[in-house]
Amino acid sequence: MELTDIKSGLKASAPIMITYAALGMACGIVLYDAGISIIGISFMSVLVYAGAGQFLAASMLVLGASIPSVIVMVFFLNLRHILMSASMSTYVKEKSLGFIALFSHVLTDESYGINYTKFREGDWSPEEAMVTSVANYSTWVVSTIVGGVIGSQIQVNTIIMNYALIAMFLYMMVQQFVSKEHLIAGICSIVLTVILTIVLKHNIALVIATVIASFIGYYLEVRKNRHTRPDIKRGEANE
Amino acid sequence: MNNVWVLILGMAVVTYIPRFLPMLLLSKKEISPSFSRWMTYIPVSIFAALVASDIFFWEGSFNLQPTINIKLIPSVIVFLIAYKTKSLLWSMVVGIGGITCLWFLF
Repeated sequence: MELTDIKSGLKASAPIMITYAALGMACGIVLYDAGISIIGISFMSVLVYAGAGQFLAASMLVLGASIPSVIVMVFFLNLRHILMSASMSTYVKEKSLGFIALFSHVLTDESYGINYTKFREGDWSPEEAMVTSVANYSTWVVSTIVGGVIGSQIQVNTIIMNYALIAMFLYMMVQQFVSKEHLIAGICSIVLTVILTIVLKHNIALVIATVIASFIGYYLEVRKNRHTRPDIKRGEANE
Repeated sequence: MNNVWVLILGMAVVTYIPRFLPMLLLSKKEISPSFSRWMTYIPVSIFAALVASDIFFWEGSFNLQPTINIKLIPSVIVFLIAYKTKSLLWSMVVGIGGITCLWFLF
C-alpha cells in the first residue's frame, strides 16, 4: 500500500465519514437508550458494522422484540449486500483471502457506492477502495461509541440526519443513469419498491424490487442489441 | 440485558455472510459477460429502491403530501443538483439545507 493510495482513499471517503460521524452518534444514542451498554455498542459496531441494521435493532429492542426476531430482520435487511458483494468480486479477484475477508466485512451501501463509482471511472485500485472502506468503518465505530457516551443527554433530529443519507443515495442513483436502460431500471425499481413496500410491509420489498428491476434493465439491453446487431442475434439470445 | 452478546454475535453472522460469500465465491472464477452486464443494473436498482423506500413514506405509510412528507421537495431539488453538478458534496449540502428549512417551516 502506497501513501498516495491512503490519500486518495481518504479523500473519496471524506463526505461519507462526515455523514457516518453524525449518523453513528445518533445510532449510539438510540442503542444506549435501548439498553445496550457502551461496551456492547463498541462490540456491535466492530463486529456487525451495519448502520441500518443497528438502527433497526435499537428500534425493535425498544418495542420489546425478541432477540431471534431482531436477528432475522437484520438478515433480511442485509440481503441487499449479496448483490453488492457479487458486484465487487470482479475488482478484488486477484487479492488474497485475508484481503477479501476484511474488504467484505467493511462493505456498506455507502462504501460500495463510492467504490463502485470509482472503479467504473477507472483509475481506482483495491487498496484505495480498502482505505476508503476502513476509514468509513473506523468513523462508524468511533462515532457510535461517542454516541453511546453522550447517551440520552441530547435530543437529536433523526429526520434531518437520516436525510443526509438519502441525499447521498439520490446522488449515487443519478450517477448510475449511464444509458436509457439504466434509467428505466431505476424508475422500475422505484415503482416496484413503493408498491411492494405497501403490499408486503417488509424490507424484503427492496430486495425483490432490485432483482426484478435489474432484470428488466438487462432484458431491455439484450433486446436493443438484438435489433441493432442482427449478426449476433443468436449468440446474444443464447447467452 | 443478558442476551446482548447473543444478539451481537447473531447480527454479526447474518451481516457477514451476505457480504463475504458472494465476493469470495465469485472472485475465484471468471464471470460470464451476460452476468456482468446484468450486474451493471444492480447498483441503479439498489439506490433507487433505497431512495424510494424512504422518501415516499412518512412515519411508516405512503405519503405524497409535500407539506407533511417534507422529504419530497428536497429530493426533487437534490435530484436536479446531482444531475446538473455531478457533485456529491453539493447534493448533500442542498439536501440537508432544504430538509432543515422545511423542518422549521412545517
